[in-house]
Amino acid sequence: MKSRLFLLVVVIAGCTAAPPPPAPEPAAPKVARALVPAAASEPAPAPPPPAAPQKAEVPSNVPASPPPVSSTPKAPPATKAAAPAKAEAPAAVATRPAAAPLDLRSLEQRLKDTGAIGVLTKLSLKNQVDDLVGRFKAFHGGQRPPTLGDLRPAFELMLMKVLSLLQDKDAALARDINASREAIWGVLADHDKFAKYTS
Amino acid sequence: MKTLAAVLAASAATLALAAADPKQKQDLTSVIALNGKPCGEVVSYVVQGDNDFLATCKDKNRYRVYVKDGRVVVDKK
Repeated sequence: MKSRLFLLVVVIAGCTAAPPPPAPEPAAPKVARALVPAAASEPAPAPPPPAAPQKAEVPSNVPASPPPVSSTPKAPPATKAAAPAKAEAPAAVATRPAAAPLDLRSLEQRLKDTGAIGVLTKLSLKNQVDDLVGRFKAFHGGQRPPTLGDLRPAFELMLMKVLSLLQDKDAALARDINASREAIWGVLADHDKFAKYTS
Repeated sequence: MKTLAAVLAASAATLALAAADPKQKQDLTSVIALNGKPCGEVVSYVVQGDNDFLATCKDKNRYRVYVKDGRVVVDKK
């Protein structure tokens, strides 16, 4: 009787135990992996800006606005640091467009860490990002379709999904990803950058 | 026998608590929407196993949301 009772308790405990979080690490990394490769070519990663103060202004302009060059708060300090050293204003201005869009490495980490997206949602996003990256891989492998014209709307839709999940709860991250739109596209659409990313 | 009853009661309480987690509801709502299924909002769900949920939507649609081979699958019930 005792052993049967013990067995029953064990079975019930097994059934009712709260499901462990489904490995959040695999979910975020690949979602963010799509963002990573350009980080190698990006200059000087900077720490992510604080999320709270910028929350109010983002939802209105995140989905529709094109990537604003000056919207990333971390870029100006980098150029400011470079400018006084050389005292060459034109050089500093020339480096600015490259530095401004994003710091992909920190975006990756912030996507991993954000609490705005649940674990299952992150995994589902990762699945969809992987599928999209697979289509880019086929494109760069010479397969047609898809053409870049086919891939761009799919890419935009993917970004829209990410932004709509983030914009209410992590507006700062949504804004920074939106600002990185063209840089991410640049990695995906360029054969060499993409190859560097996938290798 | 008393012990068994206590264990059963505790288990039921745990299940009820898990099924009312608003974050989990939101997560399921997002996953269903991401997969392009009509739902509106998940109003309740039942944990069927590890990463396996039966979600009931506001529009009465019911979906099984589970993870298989690293992919999130949403099946209409």
